[in-house]
Amino acid sequence: MNVGQYIIEATTDVFSTMLMVDLGIGEPVEGAGGDISSNITAMLGLGGDIRGMLAVHCPATVALAITSNFLGMDSDELNEDVKDAIGEIANMIAGNLKIAFAGHGMKIELALPTSIVGESFRVAGMLAARRIAVPFDMNGSQFLVELKYIVNS
Amino acid sequence: MIISDKIIETTIEIFTTMVMMEVSADGPLLVKSGTLCDTITGMIGLAGTHKGVLAIHIPHYVALAITSSFLGMDVEEINDDVRDAVGELANMLGGNIKNILSENGRDIELSLPSTVAGHEYDFSATTDVDLFILPFKTSAGNFMVELQLEK
Repeated sequence: MNVGQYIIEATTDVFSTMLMVDLGIGEPVEGAGGDISSNITAMLGLGGDIRGMLAVHCPATVALAITSNFLGMDSDELNEDVKDAIGEIANMIAGNLKIAFAGHGMKIELALPTSIVGESFRVAGMLAARRIAVPFDMNGSQFLVELKYIVNS
Repeated sequence: MIISDKIIETTIEIFTTMVMMEVSADGPLLVKSGTLCDTITGMIGLAGTHKGVLAIHIPHYVALAITSSFLGMDVEEINDDVRDAVGELANMLGGNIKNILSENGRDIELSLPSTVAGHEYDFSATTDVDLFILPFKTSAGNFMVELQLEK
């Protein structure tokens, strides 16, 4: 089970299918990665055979670009439309992960997306959880998709 | 079943038995959690037949007192112990809410708990939800418990 690969496929699929964007793909990073710099993070919990938390961390510029592309709406601030757009991106990536895990015989359910917006906040999972994060590049700007999880016994 | 009463009941139970702190409800349901300043949020997803998010928003100085009581040791700053304690609070609250929402508790799965902490941030559902936000008070200060349920 290559979770980094699942994240890559889940994310690139969403962006190419729904936004018509070809993402640049970075190297998956395992383990604690230090502080993540984000202006808006969409988070969505996964439960079942895996207990996880998916997070999509975006700087403001990328979030605005995604919203413009996805919803056809130009915002100049991180408003409700932007939160909805990033939340829906997280929801779709999680939906793809659910299918990927199912292919590995693991059944998971999705919770609801939440957005966190701020200048400097820090997201952390429980210390015992595994963490995999993949950086992506969209037109020269980076965002990060991160999954923290434990296998439910 | 009035969900807000159940949230109050379960929060008091967990704080009394696990954190060893007295808490009480501090007023009626709030409309939103608003901008959170110098706060740490513990959150957990509810997945399955009832989708939702349970969050507990605690100002830093109150989180230090809660963690000290919970772990039986003095903490002076927001560190891994505080994050784990707040995440565990969300986990316990989520576990109780799961059993309240689903008779046998079996059609709802809990996600991994997480925390968000920072100087200033806002925390909002991005889909249409029913919101239940309850303020609580303790001798160390106030905090909020927020439950978002898919409509």
